Amino acid sequence: MHIPDGYLSPSTCAAFAVIMIPAWSIAARNVKKWVKSKYIPLMAIGAAFSFTIMMYNVPIPDGTTAHAVGGGLLAIVLGPWAAMICVTVALAIQALLFGDGGVLTFTANCFNMALVLPSVSYLIYKLISQRTELTSPRRWIGAAVGSYIGLNLAACCAGLEFGLQPLLFHTAQNVPLYCPYPLTVALPSMLFAHIILAGPVEAVVTALVVRYLQAYKSDLLDMRTLATVPNDASPAPLSSRKMWWALGVLILLSPLGLLAQGTAWGEWGGDEMQKLLGFEPTGMVNLSDTWSHAPFADYSLPGFDSFWSSAVVYIFCAVLATAIISLLTYFFWKFQKSESKA
Amino acid sequence: MSERRAVPPWLQEKISASLPGAERRRFTHVGFMEKTLNAITKFMDDQLFSEQIAKERGLLQTLDPRAKLLSVFLLILTTALFHHAFPLILMNLWVLWLAKSSGVPLSLFTKRVWIVVPLFTGIVVLPSLFNVVRPGTPVWTVFRLEHPVTLRYLTIPADVAVTREGLAAAALLVLRAGASVSLAVLLTITTRWNTLLKALEVLCIPAIFIAVLDMSYRYIFLLLHTSNDMFLARKSRLTGRLRPKEARRFVASVMGNLWGKTTALGTEVHGAMLARGYTGTPKSVSHFVMKGSDKVWLALVCVVALSLLGVDRVIL
Repeated sequence: MHIPDGYLSPSTCAAFAVIMIPAWSIAARNVKKWVKSKYIPLMAIGAAFSFTIMMYNVPIPDGTTAHAVGGGLLAIVLGPWAAMICVTVALAIQALLFGDGGVLTFTANCFNMALVLPSVSYLIYKLISQRTELTSPRRWIGAAVGSYIGLNLAACCAGLEFGLQPLLFHTAQNVPLYCPYPLTVALPSMLFAHIILAGPVEAVVTALVVRYLQAYKSDLLDMRTLATVPNDASPAPLSSRKMWWALGVLILLSPLGLLAQGTAWGEWGGDEMQKLLGFEPTGMVNLSDTWSHAPFADYSLPGFDSFWSSAVVYIFCAVLATAIISLLTYFFWKFQKSESKA
Repeated sequence: MSERRAVPPWLQEKISASLPGAERRRFTHVGFMEKTLNAITKFMDDQLFSEQIAKERGLLQTLDPRAKLLSVFLLILTTALFHHAFPLILMNLWVLWLAKSSGVPLSLFTKRVWIVVPLFTGIVVLPSLFNVVRPGTPVWTVFRLEHPVTLRYLTIPADVAVTREGLAAAALLVLRAGASVSLAVLLTITTRWNTLLKALEVLCIPAIFIAVLDMSYRYIFLLLHTSNDMFLARKSRLTGRLRPKEARRFVASVMGNLWGKTTALGTEVHGAMLARGYTGTPKSVSHFVMKGSDKVWLALVCVVALSLLGVDRVIL
């Protein structure tokens, strides 16, 4: 899943940098809050651990071996924020030392493997394990399901990133400049390999490690117990968590509108006005041409005509818009906070 | 070349275990241990070897690491911006020349870049050459069918052919990936890891992140050493065959055990740091001096990048 340089356009990488930079700073602050001065050694050795277990070969049923990524495992033992930092450091070492994953594509790789993979794995693990005891079977079941879904969602993101390249970046002669495969090829092939092979390996290994820890060192399954400094304020529970869930559901449901026929009331285009009124207002004709550079005009991309492929583009647009809005809100909030301090 | 290797050849020998009862294919799962052990040895060997190259006095080694880092980053970015194959070829040739004048053995360099990249990227782009995946102007017809075949999402045209667009896109991707990987390899092979990390400050990366990277690299060796011991210990106790299920449980146990060691180590290192007066903020000591030759080098890189971009956008 390590995307090398040359497969993604520089603008795609820049877009992921815009997402990742605030994500890193939030993660660093969150982790530092509850591990204090222990932060550096714990994160450094955690990253070294993450790097080391990626080198282990795991036998798989066909007689060969495969690697586990360990992102889900790290999220379970360290929490999603600390896992994000550890995986980022491990990815940086891999990119610089081995050329495993590119230098420019580093931000995209971090988005897939350091943000999506651990956070999704952790959410599902928490959802299944709830507040059960550390030795409960629900813990390892949650670990297996979480790491499986987390890895596949990360692969899905990588597939989307690959698949959008030929649509957005090609020469006048229609020669793709970066990854040549459209979404209809890139997404299924990425998902196929991960659903069939890498996903099960990841799930089995994560579950086995969690069971090992349950049997011998169950306190290590909850990092807070070993890292918390006394009198340390634990991070406040997210009161807005339900709202984020609702937003996620809304994003997933956003393509439902595609099933409905016709245009939303008041959003008619020129040709629809022509049909409704019998003429097209001249003011509208003049104004409608002022902005014709939208990259995702009508929330769609050329070549995405079937319901499912337009649904993917819809969800992508929704996620992108939510990310931009959250970022702007975050920066506004920071700005306001610094002003009120002054 | 081999005599320059840091790890003596007898230490790198791949031992194939001929354990009693392991001949039967279904149970020869000791392979996963050897693969892991070999991967660890190879990692150590590569690291020692790059340290040796970084110590030589070539063109890139004498540069200020910050200037080198900036220039490599700039060149990778330029490589990503090209739209034509010609400037990419020029870039690749220039990088090869840089490698040669920095004392990097070309055989090793080409092996690391021009065998790995075409193998990996080549396999990835292979299907996109044909008009089955992307329609285009046919250049070479591979075979003809009686009529086009439609399989759910995929339409196989009557003439299955390699397209001009497919070839152009594949060439672009392979050359681009090759140039980017070459530049990254060149940077890491001619710079010592510690120096490279300190130089990262020039890219405005926070000191705390660099400190984590630095410590992490150091402890990778310790954790790999521990893993090596655990795998070797298991292997030396193995007298018969190991079922895949047991093997998987063993790998998972090693991971779990290593996690226990990792957290214990973290606590100890933290204690040791506190004892030496650590306050919670990392301090870095670097003595980099930007010489005149470094500035000339940066200017040269800018000129090369701009002129190649000019060739790409204006002339072609």
